[in-house]
Amino acid sequence: MPEEFVIKLELPSEMQLIYVLDSVVAEIVKEMQFEEDAAEQVNLAVIEAGTNAIRHGNKNNLHKRAYFEFHVSNECLTIVVRDEGEGFDPDDVADPLDPENLLSTGGRGIFLIRVSMDEVTFSDHGRKLTMVKYK
Amino acid sequence: MNVNIRERDGVTILDIQGKIIGSDSLDLKRIIDEQIASSAEGEAKLLLNLAKVPMMDSSGLGVVVAAYTSVQRKKGRIGLLNLGKSINSLIVMAKLITIFERYNSEDEAIAAMNK
Repeated sequence: MPEEFVIKLELPSEMQLIYVLDSVVAEIVKEMQFEEDAAEQVNLAVIEAGTNAIRHGNKNNLHKRAYFEFHVSNECLTIVVRDEGEGFDPDDVADPLDPENLLSTGGRGIFLIRVSMDEVTFSDHGRKLTMVKYK
Repeated sequence: MNVNIRERDGVTILDIQGKIIGSDSLDLKRIIDEQIASSAEGEAKLLLNLAKVPMMDSSGLGVVVAAYTSVQRKKGRIGLLNLGKSINSLIVMAKLITIFERYNSEDEAIAAMNK
């Protein structure tokens, strides 16, 4: 396997395709020999990011795509997720750990991404997410 | 994801198998809502057996939270059985660890939920 390479994936906005994304990321973390806990964290973060892109960004519009890039290197895995939605302000998301929100049925996805990955950056008005996990 | 439903001593047990990710949460919500709706006030006792669930995302967790709220409203009880490390971590991270009743054996869960 080369030391550095990029895997690209483009998905129609169909939630059932999250299983395709899950399979791809599972193989990548396995190939990169992440430890079990780290592998599970990456897997969860990618599922959450994919769900956000398809459901909240693209609003399940099958004409819109969610784009994923997996930049593999010896040191880390960098994942870029983009959607074709209207964007959002990532700083304007309610804190799911606030006692008022603890029993909310949603709103934990971005929080879980942030605690699972080492670096998380939103750009392009929330339409682009870059996240890094170090080995 | 597959769900098998069975009854034991007045407790409805949902044996869930497979990851709960993506659109699975909608299926699971429908199944749980049906079980709660068919229970009389004060008699909803739901045990989610997660022994064969290796992973759950935030949507799945949202369904479990919604089930907790619905069951509370009906003065019933809901328990989580056989949480794996991954789902336990998820619940800890979300600060829900003190909210849910958690059990490591079915016998223990049934006895506690019938007290």
